[in-house]
Amino acid sequence: MSILIDKDTKVLVLGITGKSGRLQTEIMKRYGTNIVAGVTPGKEGKEVEGVPVYDFVKKAVNNHDINAAISFVPPAYCKDSCLEAIENNIKFLVISTEEIPEHDVVEILQFAVNKGTRILGPGTAGLISPGKCKLGVHPPQLYVKGHIGVVSKSGALSYEIGKTLTESQIGQSTVVAIGGGPFWGLTQLNIIKLFQDDDETKIIVLLGEIGGTMEEDAAKFIKEKVNKPVIALIVGKSAPRGKSLGHAGAIIEGNLGTAKSKINALREAGAYIAKNHMDIVEQIRKIEGK
Amino acid sequence: MKLYEFQGKEIFKKYGIPVQSGFLIHKNDEVKNLTPPLVLKSQVLAGGRGKAGGIKIWDGNTDVSKTINDLFTLSIQGEKVKAILALEKVDILREIYLSITFNKGKSTPVLIVGTAGGIDIEKSAKLNKEKIYFIEFDPFLGILEYQIRFVAKKLDIDNYLEFKNIIRTVYKIFKEYDATLVEINPLAITPHGLVAIDSKVNLDDQASFRHQALFQKLEEEKKLIKDKEDSNTSEPTDDTITFVPLSGNIGVISDGAGTGLLTLDLISDFNGRVASFCELGGITNSEVMLKALKLVNGYSSLKSILVVLIGGFNRMDDMAEGIIKFKKELKNDIPIFIRMCGTKEEIGKQLMRFEHIPVYNNLYEAAEKAVKEARGN
Repeated sequence: MSILIDKDTKVLVLGITGKSGRLQTEIMKRYGTNIVAGVTPGKEGKEVEGVPVYDFVKKAVNNHDINAAISFVPPAYCKDSCLEAIENNIKFLVISTEEIPEHDVVEILQFAVNKGTRILGPGTAGLISPGKCKLGVHPPQLYVKGHIGVVSKSGALSYEIGKTLTESQIGQSTVVAIGGGPFWGLTQLNIIKLFQDDDETKIIVLLGEIGGTMEEDAAKFIKEKVNKPVIALIVGKSAPRGKSLGHAGAIIEGNLGTAKSKINALREAGAYIAKNHMDIVEQIRKIEGK
Repeated sequence: MKLYEFQGKEIFKKYGIPVQSGFLIHKNDEVKNLTPPLVLKSQVLAGGRGKAGGIKIWDGNTDVSKTINDLFTLSIQGEKVKAILALEKVDILREIYLSITFNKGKSTPVLIVGTAGGIDIEKSAKLNKEKIYFIEFDPFLGILEYQIRFVAKKLDIDNYLEFKNIIRTVYKIFKEYDATLVEINPLAITPHGLVAIDSKVNLDDQASFRHQALFQKLEEEKKLIKDKEDSNTSEPTDDTITFVPLSGNIGVISDGAGTGLLTLDLISDFNGRVASFCELGGITNSEVMLKALKLVNGYSSLKSILVVLIGGFNRMDDMAEGIIKFKKELKNDIPIFIRMCGTKEEIGKQLMRFEHIPVYNNLYEAAEKAVKEARGN
């Protein structure tokens, strides 16, 4: 098993006819993701990469068996599109769209809670279970099937670690990016819980960054509930205070959200703290006795 | 967008939240026929204005033009005072704190009320935890009646209807303006009812497409009093670049915040120092890459540039185009170290080969080389 997605995932692409939607649909499909339908209002009857396009989610779910969706809808229309998907019983929704108005994000997340939909994102690169399914924009050539579960806030950092592991012949079970914040559906803690329960995942890699207290929350959970080895890399140790460096969530305010507080909490929870991306490889080799 | 006090109060007034009557004084305005007593408040976006001496009360016994001139010489946390809000003085019986914002950890809106207003709310929250109430509420349902009743009771509010009305109105503004914060600190209880003594309103830039006329009006007002030399205010642009000037000699560009932060840490581990950090954000094309290169190139201390690219959304063919344009346009001899991989990597690398621009595959190696170059060895 992998987490959240596998060979049986049947995907609906929201905003399939846009520039990103089109390109990423092509890449996902080539990778083997089972994309069964797309939605763009006003484009019903068209096809993208052989995938039928509908005006409304309802018609797509009536005509196809669908159990996950990914949104490439621009920020101004993203709320409506996500609420429509949630209302139509899509139980797992990846929102790749960035820069959605905060009021809209909060409504999407609340509605998802009300209806029991899991949201990954917003502003996320998505996730990949190498060899099975890719729901997002992870460059496929950077990943290979294996037993390491990776959860990252940053998309780019999850590519970096995928690349580093793959080049060292270390495969991954699932690589998940949850988004740079400041609002999240699934959190690091949620993903780590899924990895703990996943037979295929033997070692968990947590990629955190300065800002917020999500890593501290994850540390508490690791301490209490996780018996698999956890390797953590916290980036932003050298970042200046009080400045946002690209992620809205990655800002140090007062003493909250410092690299030090996260590293201390994770170390205390029994996680190995990696010095950099190369050190993750060394530590995995040590654990696996190679 | 952070609004000045006078801008926030204009919104309050429009929605019927009582504020003191008053007027705005710009630098070099002629002031005459003022009636004491007046509260003179520097209009700056920085916090801690009162402590920095940015608020003065004129009781009529001194020369008001001197007080005003003194305020105009102030610089509060690096922000020069360019406008003063002059307000009638009101009798305050008691002050309370009131705001609506988002609880980021829980992704819900939250009503925050405190028994003491006017002072540093974070500090007083720490000192006196039981006197600040955080009421999270459902974004679809809004603030419920019982939640307002609860805080009114905790705060010993006499005129419940008036209090409720203000909370409802603050919520209305929060929602209708796509605000990320609407704060009244303090909300004063006066013999004549509740009065908003201060305003802090932050609007969501990401929602500006819904409020174009408003953002334009507010920007124009700000331009009148904005200090051109203020480094903490930047012109609005169409791109999503985050640019942070620092003090070293290596310019860093990344197409992701996480890898960017990792790169800064690697440089620091190699004992290198970063001149500026540029993250491209969600919109990436060759023009954005070119702009980023020009931004980091604008430092005389610059010794090397490190470009770290690992594209998901971002296409390496676009990035290569931007880098090549930069090389051609500027005929620059600053060494650039480029790590390129991800979406459309083959085409990107091919374009670079064609122009004889070296590309690294490994982040560690590229960072190490950029640091060595900056050190001169």
